[in-house]
Amino acid sequence: MKNKNQSKYIFIIQVVTMVIGLVVLSVVGFAQNKPVKGTIVDKDNISLPGATIIQKGTTNGVISDAEGNFEIACPMGSTLVISYIGFKDQEVEVNSTDLGTIKLMEDFVTLSEAVVVGVGYGTMRKSDLTGAIESVDSEELKKGVISSTEQLLQGKVAGLTVIQGTGDPAIGASLRLRGGTSLSASNGPLIVVDGIPGVDFNTVHPSEIVSIDVLKDASASAIYGSRGANGVIIVTTNRASKGKNMQYQGYVAVGRASKHVDVLSANQWRAWVRENEVTEAIDYGGNTDWQKELEQTAITHSHVFTFNSGTESSGYRASVNYLNNQGVIKNTKLERLGASLSAYQFGLNDKLKLEAGINANFDKWNPFDGRIFERMLNLSPTIPVYNPDSSFTRIGGTKYDNPVEIHTNRFAQNTRHRLLGYGKAELEIIEGLKAVANLSYEYNSMQARLYKPSYAVMEGQADKGFGQRTLGDYTTMQIETYLTYDKQLNDNHKINLLGGYSYLDNTYEGFRAMRRGFDTDLFLYNNLGAGQDYRAGDVYSYKGQAKLISFFARANYNFKGRYMATATLRRDGSSRFGANNKWGWFPSASLAWRISDEPFMQATSNWLDNLKLRAGYGVTGNQDGIGEYKSLSLLGAGSDTYYDAATQTWKQSYGPIQNPNPNLKWETTAQVNIGLDFSLFSRLTGTIEVYQKDTYDLLYTYRVSSADYAFPTILANVGSLKNQGVELTLSGNIVSTKDFTWDANLTLAKNMQVIEKLSDETFQTEDVPSGSLHGIDGMSGQFSQLIAEGYPVGTFWGPLCTGIDSTGKFILADEGVSQDIGNVQPKLSYGFGTGFTWKNFDMELAMYGMYGQKVLNATAMILNNPKRLPTLNVTDSFLESGITDKVTYSSYWVEDASFLRLQSLTLGYTLQATEIGLSKIRFYVTGENLFVLTNYSGTDPEVSIEGLDNPGFDWFNAYPRPRTFSFGLNVSF
Amino acid sequence: MKINKITIILFLTMLFGACTDLEETLYDKVSSADYGKTASEIETIVGRAYASLRGYSDEICNAFPTGEFVLFLSETTSDEACIPTRGADWYDEGRYQDAQFHTWTPSNLLVLSAWRYCYGGINKINLIIDQVEKSELSEEEQMVVKAELRGVRAYFYYMLLDLYGNVPITTKASDENVTNSTRADVYAFVENELLDIIDLLPEEKIYGRFTQGVAYTLMARLYLNSEVFIGEPRWQDCINACDKVQGYTLENNFFTSFLTDNEGSNEIIWSIPYDSKAGTVGNFFASLAFHYKQKQAFSATNNYTDCVNGISAQPGLYSSYEDEDVRKQGYLVGDQISLATGSVILMDDGSPLSYTEEIEDYTDAKQNEGIRPKKYEVKEGETWERDHDFVLMRYAEIILMKAECYIRLGSPGLARPLVAQIRDRANVDTPAEVDLEFLDDELMREFAFEGHRRTDNIRMGDWFEPWWNKEATPEYRSLFPIPQYEMDLNSNLTQNPGYN
Repeated sequence: MKNKNQSKYIFIIQVVTMVIGLVVLSVVGFAQNKPVKGTIVDKDNISLPGATIIQKGTTNGVISDAEGNFEIACPMGSTLVISYIGFKDQEVEVNSTDLGTIKLMEDFVTLSEAVVVGVGYGTMRKSDLTGAIESVDSEELKKGVISSTEQLLQGKVAGLTVIQGTGDPAIGASLRLRGGTSLSASNGPLIVVDGIPGVDFNTVHPSEIVSIDVLKDASASAIYGSRGANGVIIVTTNRASKGKNMQYQGYVAVGRASKHVDVLSANQWRAWVRENEVTEAIDYGGNTDWQKELEQTAITHSHVFTFNSGTESSGYRASVNYLNNQGVIKNTKLERLGASLSAYQFGLNDKLKLEAGINANFDKWNPFDGRIFERMLNLSPTIPVYNPDSSFTRIGGTKYDNPVEIHTNRFAQNTRHRLLGYGKAELEIIEGLKAVANLSYEYNSMQARLYKPSYAVMEGQADKGFGQRTLGDYTTMQIETYLTYDKQLNDNHKINLLGGYSYLDNTYEGFRAMRRGFDTDLFLYNNLGAGQDYRAGDVYSYKGQAKLISFFARANYNFKGRYMATATLRRDGSSRFGANNKWGWFPSASLAWRISDEPFMQATSNWLDNLKLRAGYGVTGNQDGIGEYKSLSLLGAGSDTYYDAATQTWKQSYGPIQNPNPNLKWETTAQVNIGLDFSLFSRLTGTIEVYQKDTYDLLYTYRVSSADYAFPTILANVGSLKNQGVELTLSGNIVSTKDFTWDANLTLAKNMQVIEKLSDETFQTEDVPSGSLHGIDGMSGQFSQLIAEGYPVGTFWGPLCTGIDSTGKFILADEGVSQDIGNVQPKLSYGFGTGFTWKNFDMELAMYGMYGQKVLNATAMILNNPKRLPTLNVTDSFLESGITDKVTYSSYWVEDASFLRLQSLTLGYTLQATEIGLSKIRFYVTGENLFVLTNYSGTDPEVSIEGLDNPGFDWFNAYPRPRTFSFGLNVSF
Repeated sequence: MKINKITIILFLTMLFGACTDLEETLYDKVSSADYGKTASEIETIVGRAYASLRGYSDEICNAFPTGEFVLFLSETTSDEACIPTRGADWYDEGRYQDAQFHTWTPSNLLVLSAWRYCYGGINKINLIIDQVEKSELSEEEQMVVKAELRGVRAYFYYMLLDLYGNVPITTKASDENVTNSTRADVYAFVENELLDIIDLLPEEKIYGRFTQGVAYTLMARLYLNSEVFIGEPRWQDCINACDKVQGYTLENNFFTSFLTDNEGSNEIIWSIPYDSKAGTVGNFFASLAFHYKQKQAFSATNNYTDCVNGISAQPGLYSSYEDEDVRKQGYLVGDQISLATGSVILMDDGSPLSYTEEIEDYTDAKQNEGIRPKKYEVKEGETWERDHDFVLMRYAEIILMKAECYIRLGSPGLARPLVAQIRDRANVDTPAEVDLEFLDDELMREFAFEGHRRTDNIRMGDWFEPWWNKEATPEYRSLFPIPQYEMDLNSNLTQNPGYN
């Protein structure tokens, strides 16, 4: 079964056609027939309910039941034709009264067109789509270990870049679709989970996901209006459904850091001192690999247990999951416990369907002090970790603290609770007309606890113990109501109408309390009141709220399945927008033409199964860049205290907090998309998309004259930028026999971005330096990147270095004039996956990569400083490089970070185990991050490109990415 | 089907009777229309004006009066201080070298910092005055409150007058694309403001507040430099203003005004109060001066904040003190001894940390070259943000301003006892006759690193002569240029002469 939605759809069609068929058949009698039984399954041995079984050449037929079983009366030696939508017809000769298990092979092309795709406020068949929507279904999602939903999407969807910038288990990947559309706001797509927009991805356990649909172009995403500019990802999860089953999924994984920075070992350091006759070098007599001191072999185990029970009228589903990931850096364990419960019931003569559910999960992890990463590369390898009396060694000096001590003498624990509750009512008013109400409540609460004991080298000593607790909550309440109307006018015309209203309230609040000066370290963060050092700013709290109110409508029209048109319109109003721009319109329109169904295409129908041309245009927005209250004239009480001589105390002052801008509005993106879907030889399906996205009213914080404004900057909608690109998705069913199948898929995407405008009459900015190098020796106030018209975001701007001369100085071209020396955005991103099955064995391989993007190896820039030795450690490559020059920013440190990663390789075996009361057992082994092909010299070329401050920086972001091997077990009961 | 109809109506209500209210609800902030009505609320808003004296920091630059870069601008361009380039450290696009060589351009960050400091304060005060005028206070009460605010604003304008001369005068909450006024206009504005408010200001001493004493001191400064500012000497007016500054005395101990708890000093006329526990930021001058390893000399357990080895005494300052001069103790000189080991601290290259007055090569100085100012008290356990109040005006200045005016007016006999008060406290003799040249040096010795020196250099004329690592300075450089950054953002501004 491809997925639950699809099967339901198919099942209904099957039932309808078969009921009609059986009425006809039941009037005809047959003699000498024997009852013959069998079970219909797919290649994964999942039973297929609703398959048609017909005796060949007759009208005698039945359909399979919910477990895929059938029984038909037919003569021995006759032939049965078994058919099922999405599968190839199969003929079976009747040579026994029990035909056993009959396996159907998927019909690759039909299946891909029959997929039901989430389009926002409803679903459509892929064949009826007019916009650019790409789907990843559960089968692709669930072969091996799934550590996160984001990772699962890596390389799977052309144009969706998923960057996992760190190996830290507590930090997720960032998503970006078709390049960024914003300078200062988030570039992440809107996530819609089971119809609820704006849900945190992590609220849903990856194993609960049935399918993910990515709305790429504006004609598809415009139904989400002011939040659709970066695309929309629609996640469908497992909710209660018909049938009865139980399932366990679990794995154990072992991970180790996949790569280290090659700094000198103690022996290499000593050899260097000897060879260079360095007299003042201090050898502390140790032999320490500081990186290894902080690492460990990480054991991860994960368990998911699910059961589901459902009938025509009601049903429920429950699931619990647990994850424990130790992390390859010591003391960075992540634990996650989650559960979900959902239920449905029909009423009012099956005209009303009620659904309700709750997802909850609890995370617990130990955040660490990121300063260990710099120290572990700074410290001389001759320094032992501990003194002979087993206290930590301490060598004085800035950034020279013992990283093992920093890491050990610290107590930190964060917890996060997420809750998503929803209720949905669907009422069929008249045939085809449905009213839907969707209510949801999302609650996300994070608590951070930190204590730096009085003996801790980092702050603890100076503060005589430092304790802190932080709480941050946000809640999102949403009501969405809409009407849909489906009507097949006659054979030729089909329409679908949608109109609705949505109200969203997002409230966030929190506080922080801290205290210093503890008499004992025993309380940790549990008794802040015991601290005796009171300071302003020790306690603060905040609260804010945003509202989004929307009206939306959509019309689909389908003529003969050949010509399709869609139009959408959304009106969004946000409390964040300035008084002069409270409401915005977001329209779209798109057309599709199935050329292959035209009569004149008869000649090619033997090899061209499908050819569909799509074109669409839409306007979407991004409102993430406007914080709450930015358009208002406000007074705040903040950190600005003043001394009151009369009382000899410090008092809170109140004052204006910002330059208000009543014109603030969303960023607008207009997108044109042209797509072509094709299927060839029943083997190969593919899609080509070409698009252009023009974003204007870009938000940016403009600097304003200090003589004119009370505050130096103001947020304003001014600039514009453009993204253009091409995407290719290919999917091939190369071999498809009963025992052996081989399929493969490929995604390729190219996006080009350029900033077109940054200034207008009111607000001007010159080219803006960004990517601050402040913090690198001798680089204070210097920048590595430039935000400028005519260039993409993340353009490295500096002198071109052509090499190192014989004296070890950098050779800079053009007298060191700064120029464009590359960009953080990939020229090409791609993914490749292939899978084999042979009898009960299967193998799945997934790779992804990016080409042409640059990364600033700031870590190398810091470590290749000739002033470091002998006090601070350097890399092996520094000694080979012969660099004697002072730290200089140039293209020398801006490296090509193209890479190809073997993300995962899974080998599995599935066993039918009905004899022992189980329906299926699957064993598998998965290797993750097995290799990375790259010329990048740092630890990992996959570096976060989020934000404007330091996109594409590898700057001690050294939480090592693990290489993991796991063993997994899935059991179905 | 009754239920069905009800449900339909319910759905339709939800669809079309929908809420469309998009007002923002405020929780942790207040609208400027809802706060600042009562006298006590106004007091908290006035407090923000005083808080603005501490300056601010943003992604464009630090604008702190205590060091980066407002104080740095007047110090490093004067003859008492320098920030040598130490390898790659403190090169910072040559901004300190340009200050040292008197070759700054309108793009220099120090030049921008002081401008933004002053206008940051002025514009906040303009908004605050606006709030005061909208309050429930009576007109008379408003006048009193506004007098103090206008006083602090006049102080910012005085700084602009001194540093940039021809600056825009803005007194309204929202003013766009303002244009320059002449230096004479700015001078007149400052003087008129002070004269206008003087009787409304508190007569009594109130620590940290803009009192009559502060106003008269500022007026005395204005008149002392009147010849520079508008070409018209007003020495007697300066003396008269000084005489109005009552109730302050010279502390017996020179360093009393520079203790961590210096608010008890009876010498301080005006200061910017700091207390790191009250959340004040910007007060970390000492850390910018001391060597990275200096902490070992202050704490046996390294319990002292990080230091970054920057600003130093320009060669000549330290040796201008006689050995018995107590003020000479306000410097770190020679070997620095580790409290933990009792021996000399070693720098990273293994050589001893021993500060020298000589700086052999200004553009490539050694880490230990340059004597470090340590006027304010240093304590073990200090954090990056220090707790001492930053002295803006103290009574010694009144004494020496008067002395200078007497010399200028041809009565050095009246000046000598005044100078002697200062010298006696410093435990050094006073020459029989004091002339301008002597007084010039005495001003440097007394007020080193208090931000006076550039103004004194210009008034005394030394500014234009060559000195250590500086050629002769052209006349136009007695003013700094309007920052390029501001010129770019406001096309109505004109550049000071000589900088185009």
